[in-house]
Amino acid sequence: MTENKESSASGSILVVGGGISGLTTALEAAEVGYEVFLVEKNPYLGGRVAQLNQYFPKLCPPTCGLEINFRRIKENPRIHTFTMAEVDKVEGSPGSYSVRITLNPRFVNDNCTACGKCTDVCPAERSNDFNLGMDMTKAIYLPFKMAFPHKFVIDSVACQGEDCGKCIDVCEYDAIDLKMKEKTIDINVGSIVWATGWSPYDATKIDNLGFGQYSNIITNMMMERMAAKDGPTAGKIERPSDKQGPASVAFVQCAGSRDENHLPYCSYICCMASLKQTTYIRERLPEAEIYIFYIDLRAPGQRYEKFYSKIKEDENVHFIKGKVAEVIENPDNNNITVVAENAVTGQKIKQEVEMVVLATGMQPNVALSKLPADLKVTEDGFLVNDYEKGGMFAIGCATKPMDVVSSNQNATGMALKAIKTLVNR
Amino acid sequence: MANQKMIEPDLDFIKEIGVLGGSDLKKCYQCATCSVACPISPDNRPFPRKEMIAASWGLKDRLVGDVDIWLCHNCGDCSVRCPRLAKPGDVLAAIRSYAITEYATPKSLAKMVNDPKKLPVLLAIPAVIFLVLGFILNMFVEPNWLNFSPEGDHIAHHLFFSTWLVDIIFISATIFAVTVFALGIKRFMADMHQNALAEGKTDKEKLEIKGFLQALWRVIPTILRHDKFVECTENNERSTAHMMVLYGFIGLFIVTGIFFVVLYVFGIHGPYSQLNPVKWLANVSGVALVIGSGLMIKKRLDKPEQVSTYKDWALIGLAMALGVSGLLTEMTRLAGAAGLTYFLYFIHLIFVFCLIAYLPYTKLAHLVYRTLAMAYAEYGGRKF
Repeated sequence: MTENKESSASGSILVVGGGISGLTTALEAAEVGYEVFLVEKNPYLGGRVAQLNQYFPKLCPPTCGLEINFRRIKENPRIHTFTMAEVDKVEGSPGSYSVRITLNPRFVNDNCTACGKCTDVCPAERSNDFNLGMDMTKAIYLPFKMAFPHKFVIDSVACQGEDCGKCIDVCEYDAIDLKMKEKTIDINVGSIVWATGWSPYDATKIDNLGFGQYSNIITNMMMERMAAKDGPTAGKIERPSDKQGPASVAFVQCAGSRDENHLPYCSYICCMASLKQTTYIRERLPEAEIYIFYIDLRAPGQRYEKFYSKIKEDENVHFIKGKVAEVIENPDNNNITVVAENAVTGQKIKQEVEMVVLATGMQPNVALSKLPADLKVTEDGFLVNDYEKGGMFAIGCATKPMDVVSSNQNATGMALKAIKTLVNR
Repeated sequence: MANQKMIEPDLDFIKEIGVLGGSDLKKCYQCATCSVACPISPDNRPFPRKEMIAASWGLKDRLVGDVDIWLCHNCGDCSVRCPRLAKPGDVLAAIRSYAITEYATPKSLAKMVNDPKKLPVLLAIPAVIFLVLGFILNMFVEPNWLNFSPEGDHIAHHLFFSTWLVDIIFISATIFAVTVFALGIKRFMADMHQNALAEGKTDKEKLEIKGFLQALWRVIPTILRHDKFVECTENNERSTAHMMVLYGFIGLFIVTGIFFVVLYVFGIHGPYSQLNPVKWLANVSGVALVIGSGLMIKKRLDKPEQVSTYKDWALIGLAMALGVSGLLTEMTRLAGAAGLTYFLYFIHLIFVFCLIAYLPYTKLAHLVYRTLAMAYAEYGGRKF
């Protein structure tokens, strides 16, 4: 490339959301010379991908790709990253938007070397949302081992404040500032890309599937964290009730997806995610029997299809065509009986297993909190691109449920749309 | 190739199921949530998932003789849980309605009963029969069969329509209904057994009358106690209303039987004194009928998400009309309003005729078919 790294092309782009889609758009646009503001509401970049143990179908760790992206960001002076930041207001039209951004206080400044001494002395604890509440962290914590920016953060709700101040005493770098206040900044950009992503559907809403009532029913995202080496169980797959490796696991597909009472659409990734998770269990608990209850299995494309075929050959993995519609807990051993009708044989099945994984789907974050911009939104909260209007574009799972590879392709393409807005100005 | 099965969809059947209240049938994607949600569905070949796909494919023959469509009590648990809002409960109700027509003869009358436009004709039939037969008999046979101006201060409805006239007509109607049922039941029982054998829902090779009747005897308490209704979670308060209507009808049936015997054996005419226990039973039953059907109307109006079709309203309406017209006839008689009470009595007779003569064609035929299906399930060891 003959790109001149020193001079920026005219115009800048705001990318809202620092997950895999947002990172990709930001990097693609910045690396061809445009100034990019990357706004992320979490204290770290990487989004949902950062929580995954492995990608399907290659079963490689997402941290690998994220690390490369983080390095690209570090090396690129055109990307301005704001974590713990939220977009408050958007005004203007394609080519010229004025945007107000709120920066929430991190209480830890750039001096932080992530040495961890503060954590040792911190007396307060908080539920670890990164691990879906399966463990606790101190009030001052590093979101996860690979977190970027690699800086600690203080949970202001859990922190006992200046009265305690133990972390300040122990910090050798003067990195903690409990007086840090919320700030707002105003920026002008030519184009905005919305990469607001998704959240796992709240499984407690699916009242017939027992999540939140019975301890041995977990969700697929919890399984990802459980299987991760840096997760709450250090990679050990165990049932929550007694911390034992389950001898049998049932996957409940379409838990809340394709359901007019919950998410009416197919969440696209859950079939592949469950197939992938069977490999986690097979690897760590080779004797375990696995039951996958499904309505239809979707493994689109040749590579996914091949992956599915391979799992199907496994004698310990049993596929049952029939949706689980009822769960019963055995109070003596906390085992769960899942009830379904096998639509192939026409028999009702009551399968007792030691742990149940609900393959919950994707809910767009926009469904949970509205955006401060004039965008087309579907009934379910997905953003719809209006190319005629232009200027603002939506990418990744903010637009529809998709896997990482599609998100990346989509984000790359949409970087060009954003750039075109600047050039056509 | 020998194992291949040709599916021959009956497209008219699919359309008809839609008309009868199962219009969301095609939304079903066979997840089988319904079969699990149903509190009374058996573990072996549960319903209604398999009925949903058979209906979608237009496999009429697999459905009309399917014992399971009658085991369903339409509580709606499946419809509430259905992720596609395909309303399996309403689809099964539609299939039942289709099956009633299927086993009824003549088909033309069955079609009329299900067609709201034909209601005036159906109501006119008994009116005409009473008047025409009354006039003709008046001309040729003594005594007064039909008297528009009964004399004296004593109001008694038999002075207006003679009990002979009423009973000739009603006994004929009853014989007609019983004959239609007999023809239908013969086919229904054979189809039900064949279907159960084909789908592995019975442990009996042969359908034996004795064993079946014993099974019938065993299920009667279940029916009277409404055990299956009570198992439903969504709609179980519905069982009270249904029980009131059922017991209302049973009470009035008993009263009618007593009247009939007392009249023709002992020659004693009504009306009975209000102090007579038979009268108590009649009054209580009539009130139960009105309250029960009133509750049913309210429940259906409160639940717009449940499909209510003409067949549903026709039956509830008939029960209400019978109760109200009967009680009003009695009250106007007691009030001494001769003209009014005779007129109301005529209206009441028309509804009674509708109840008896059209029974094999209306939704009320479930009284026969569901009872037989439950007895068959008991006989064939289908645990539901």
